Parts: sequence; structure tokens; C-alpha cells
Amino acid sequence: MARMKFYCDPERCIECNACVTACKNENEVPWGVNRRRVVTINDGDEGERSLSVACMHCSDAPCATVCPVDCFYTTQDGVVLHDKDICIGCGYCFYACPFGAPQFPEDGAFATRGKMDKCTFCAGGPEADNSSAEHRKYGSNRLAEGKLPLCAEMCSTKALLAGDADTISEIYRKRIINRSASVMARGVSYRDASFRAPYNSAAGKSSAKE
Amino acid sequence: MNGGSNHSLVGHGVKTTVIRLLLLWLFALPLETVADTKESRGLPSTMVLNPAAELWRDVRQRDMPTSGTSQVRGVDSGVLINANGDKWRKFRMQQLIPIGGYLLLGIIVGLTLFYLVRGKVKIVAGASDRKLPRYTSYERLIHWFMASIFLFLAITGLIILFGRPLLIPIFGKEIFSVIASASKEGHNLMGPLFMVALILVFVKFVRRNIYQKGDMSWLLRGGGIIGKKHVPSNFFNMGEKSMFWMLVLVGSVIVVSGLVLIFPVFGQSREWMELAHVGHAIGAILMIGVILGHIYIGSVGMEGAIDGMKNGYCDLNWAKEHHDLWATQMEKRGEAIANEDVNRFSDPDTNESLGRELREAGK
Amino acid sequence: MIAQFIDGPLWTFSLSVFLIGVIWRIVTILMAGNRKDLATPRGSASAGAVRTVFSRSIYERSAATRGRLLLIAGYLFHIGLFALLFFAQPHIDFIAERITGLGWTAMPHWAFILSAELAFLGLLLLWIHRLLSPVTRLLSDLDDHLGSILVFLVMLTGCLALAQSFESLRLIHLLSAELLLIYFPFSKLMHTFTFILSRGYTGATMGRKGVNA
Repeated sequence: MARMKFYCDPERCIECNACVTACKNENEVPWGVNRRRVVTINDGDEGERSLSVACMHCSDAPCATVCPVDCFYTTQDGVVLHDKDICIGCGYCFYACPFGAPQFPEDGAFATRGKMDKCTFCAGGPEADNSSAEHRKYGSNRLAEGKLPLCAEMCSTKALLAGDADTISEIYRKRIINRSASVMARGVSYRDASFRAPYNSAAGKSSAKE
Repeated sequence: MNGGSNHSLVGHGVKTTVIRLLLLWLFALPLETVADTKESRGLPSTMVLNPAAELWRDVRQRDMPTSGTSQVRGVDSGVLINANGDKWRKFRMQQLIPIGGYLLLGIIVGLTLFYLVRGKVKIVAGASDRKLPRYTSYERLIHWFMASIFLFLAITGLIILFGRPLLIPIFGKEIFSVIASASKEGHNLMGPLFMVALILVFVKFVRRNIYQKGDMSWLLRGGGIIGKKHVPSNFFNMGEKSMFWMLVLVGSVIVVSGLVLIFPVFGQSREWMELAHVGHAIGAILMIGVILGHIYIGSVGMEGAIDGMKNGYCDLNWAKEHHDLWATQMEKRGEAIANEDVNRFSDPDTNESLGRELREAGK
Repeated sequence: MIAQFIDGPLWTFSLSVFLIGVIWRIVTILMAGNRKDLATPRGSASAGAVRTVFSRSIYERSAATRGRLLLIAGYLFHIGLFALLFFAQPHIDFIAERITGLGWTAMPHWAFILSAELAFLGLLLLWIHRLLSPVTRLLSDLDDHLGSILVFLVMLTGCLALAQSFESLRLIHLLSAELLLIYFPFSKLMHTFTFILSRGYTGATMGRKGVNA
């Protein structure tokens, strides 16, 4: 079976947030909840990189380990989903997740959080595939229709890739090779030819500024 | 030449071919140069470094802050990797639950064994015919208020902590999620009442729990729990005083961390919530353990211990054996009351005004 | 099946018992009448009645020193319960849907939680005191205990169902409320309505005599 993963290429990500908007629109995510977000490091400085982050569908998901009511499950495709009927809104999955994928629709006192919502890899939830109950609770189930998540489909630069892990790593590998080849004409390495100036950890900022 | 549309290399004049070969050679030149650059010398083309390689290495090794900015608004939305989350998960699943569980189980087993071996601590001189007033109505009220709140919070908290390994196999996920949701809501709502109870208990009992002469020797002699040797003590012995201060100090940690946890609306990051959870859980397990001992002594562990909290009076001989210094003081002041007189207060046949009130009320 | 029973016939039954029972008891009290006072009135009876209904909500001086805890607990419980019952969003929705057809403004969620806490605090203090103090322990009969238990159950089950996401918890809360409604007209809980009659009667009698009661 496939092992579904996301991969976001920070060299291509231009922080357009199309993935964020596509996800929110397609899944009719409640107010205040953003399943996907773009994080920008070194914003405004050279060496700026952006990364689109949502649930990484970990093989050994810490959210699933820590849930007091055990509401998570992993599908055969490796997609980590959860059952909102069982979720009690305690927030532990949010504490444990390295990527901050779980989101909560309410922000109340006395830890009133509402049911947890997160990226489903556009694979819906435990309800029947493409039923109205499933759509209301979990958003669209594109995987059951043989499609891939909309965030990756909508990515303007194809920075965000989604699909079977082997296929994605193959695509990315080819990109790396092509990057090297495409700048051979300019007689420099990709490192110096990239439209993004490189990051210099010793200086703490990019070397292009000096 | 021909000025026509035919662009193939073949079938043209020699001049065109030479020009084309020249261009081809010109293009090939840079390829040779690139093949000689210091980055690619000796390296296959796929090994060209990613320009942000150092950035991501630093992020992965947490050498630079793993956070940036995001258009999505939220307290932690700029954080790329929440490294503490995994530490917290490991603590809760691999340390708190197993160690805490075995600790509480061990305390229960230990208390059972102690009872089987030592038995109930009896009043050596036997029950006397006189009592001493021990706790006022108000003191008993706030003690039992605190006790009921604590029991409720302890049970609901333990359900949330240990429910998954212990209760889901029994009830199944659907029923357990109902129990867990009820426990979570009940726990969060009753939590602040524990704070109220703690304040009331502290204010009322703090004066009698301050360290006095003789407390240390009581502690060193183990309070006389082993053997029948008599150990003097004040109104509260060192064991009770230690429990009071543990209750107040650990209880304060539990209250403060609990308030942080039930009000996630003040912009606290996940790190603060995780820290609060750790303090809350460790404090709670400790406190439950100590209170288990307290409940043991108050119920089956010691004869005459619960009377003070039940009706406000304790047996004189019990007081002389366990709180000698206080008991002799009270006796000297003439505070000892005969048993019949104590019962008289609540017996309508002997207490005239009480009987009258009851009759008028139609009881 | 049980769910449909609790939501349907039992709700109708309990509401009817409550409404008919309360109205019946108030009517019988009013029908009992009072002896005609032939003396010349020195003041207005109706003004006195209205005055006393409100003035008795303020505590008597000695209660502030000798019965302070119970005084505070009493206020906390009653005010908190009133706010909870009539100004909490889920209750307003319930009443609007099933009884009146229209709702009213609810208090904010944090105020809902605060009223619940204060009501619980008051109830627990009062209830434990009733069980501990020798006087009240002797005075309390089955009616008192049953009333305390039922009110506590309703509040507790409501607190447990606060997430408003689990049907079974909501039904347990509704069931306990229905049992309370059925018990209500036959118990001293009727003081919810009769306090107006008793305060008014005292105020009217005193008002006729020209005394501020």
C-alpha cells in the first residue's frame, strides 16, 4: 500500500499561502482554525525560507500516543486521522505534536476547546466515504475519489508535494539533479545561482549581505 | 542563402554547417568550465549543496530558534518545531503513567499490609467516659467540603490519566469517551472550588500547624506507630502538621498549574501548558498518595480518630494517648465533658430547648 | 428508545406535573383566605406587601456575625442557580425550543461557568452543614434530603455535560431535571413561588398596621 506523506520544498515556496486558502476552502474549516499554515524563517532578511506545515502524518504519531481517549487511527495509506465523536477536546495532542497540527475551534476559559480539527490529507474521517456527515465533520474526502490533497494540487510553484512517499522522494530527487544541471550554463553552483541568497550560520545571516 | 524555410542541418551549404558547429562548440565551452568549478570537482552533480543546508541543519539541531512568522495568527503559529512536545509526551506516557500508577498501587498495597500486620491502633486505656471538644462545626464543615471536592477531583483526574490503559479495555472507546468527557468537564469546573477550600482550610488551621517544641522528637520516634510506646504531641502531631504543609504547598502548585491549564486564553505557549501539566500531575499523584494514608488512619487505621471530625468530640483517653500535651491542658481547664452530656446536646429528650423546637416544627 | 422516552413523553409528563402542581398549590393557598381585619387600617396593605417581598431579600443584622458562612453560601447558591437556570445559553435554547418559542439574551460563557461554580460552592457548603450540624441534622427530614440530593444531581449532571457534545450526558442531565420537576410541587422546594405569598402576607398585615416589616 502507499505511504502518504507531504513534502514542502523550501527553495520553491514563495509564501503565497495558496495551500492555506485551498485547504480552508475545500474542507470548510470552522472559524479560527487553520489546518495548514506557512511558516517563514528569517522573514525579510536574505536567507529567508518558507515552509508549508500541516499534519505530517507521522508513522509513529505522538498525538495518537498521548490521546487519553485513543481517538486516533492510521489508515492503510498511512494517513493519521481521528474520530471527532470520541474526542473530548483536552488538547494533549496539540501539546505533543511537533508541528502544531491539531487545532481547536473554541478558545474558552476552563479549557473549553471543542473537538480537535486537523489536516486529514483530504481523506475525510471514520464516517462513510463522501457522506454528508463526513463532509460536515472532517471536510472533503478526495483520497476516496482517487485524488490528492488540494493544498499540493493548488501550490503555485509545486513546492508542496503530496502523495506516496517513494514517488515524492523520486520527484524531489530529480529536482535536485535538475537544479544542478540548470545552472551549469552560468558557470556557478546552484548555491550561488539561487535567487535566494544562502544562509550563513556563522554570521547568523546570509553571506550576501556582506 | 536560400532564404527559405528549410532549417535542417542536412541539405545546406558548407557555410551554414560550419556556423552551426561553431555555435555548438561555443555552448560546449561553459560546460567544460563548470566541470572544473571547485564545488563540482570530484563530486557527482547530485551532490551540489542546497543553499539553505546550514539553515536546516541548525533548525534540526535546534541551534537557531525554530520559529519564524506566519500569516496564520495564533500564539504558537510561528513555531516550526515544538521540540518540547516530544519530551512531554515521553514524560507522560513513559514515566508519569507507569511510575505514578505503580506508586499509588504500592501505597494501597502497603497500607493493606500495614493494617494486616499492625492492625487497628486501639486506645490502650480503652474508651473513657469523657470527651474533649476537638473541632467546631465550622472546622468540620470546611474539612468535609475540602474532602468531597478533593475526592471528586482525584477520581476524575485519575480517570483522565489512567483511563486509556485501564478503562478502555473494560468499557470500549465510545462509552469511555463519555466518561472521559464528563470527567474532564467536571474536573475543570470543580478545580477552582479546591482553591476556595484550600484557602479556607489554610486560614482556619494554620495557627495549630506551626512547629512547636516536641514535634521533631515525635517525628524521630515515628509517632509511636510501631510498638506501644507513648509519644507526646500537641493538638496536631508532626505527622498531621507535615500533611497540612504538604497539602498547602503541593496544593498551591496544583492550584496554580491548574489555573494555567484551564485558562489557555492568556497567550501562554505550549511550553507553559506542558510545564503546568507536569507540575499538576506530579503534585496530584503525591497528594493522592499522602491523602490515601490520611484516609487510612482516619477510617480503619486508628480507633477514635474520626470521632473528632464526625461529631466534634474526641475520646479523652484517645486524646491523652495521641495528643498528650493538648489533652492535659484541656483537662486542666475543665473542658472534659461526660459522654452523657455530649449526647444530651443532640438528644431532644434531655435537651429541653431542642426538643421544644423540634415539636414546634412538627417533627 | 430510552432517549426518545426522556426527550418525549417523560418531558411532557414532568412539565405538566410541575405546572399543574405549582398552580394547584398556589391556588389552594390563596383560596384558604385570611381572616378579615376589622380594625381601621393605618397604612396601605398592598404597599406593605410589595415592600416586604423585596426587603426580606436583605439579611438580618445578626446573621452577618453569627451565621456568616451560611448567609454567604445561601446567597451564592440562590443567585448562582437563578443565573444558571435562566441566563445560560444552553438553557435558554432549550426553553425557547420547547416551551416559550422565543429566547432572550444569554450571559457570556465565562459568566455561565462562574455562576455554576458559585452555585456549587453554596450548595456544597449548605448541604454539608445540614448533614453535620446536630440541629439541622435532627430537623432535616426526607423531604429536605431528597430535595438536596435532586438539586445536587441536576447541577452535577449539568456540569458533566458541559462539553455539549455527548448525547448520553445531556439525557442524564435532562432525566435528573425531569425527576426534580416531578418532585417539585410536593416538596418544600415550592418555596420558590410561595416565598412571595408568605413575604407578601406578612408585609400586608404589617402594612395595614402602619409598620414597615
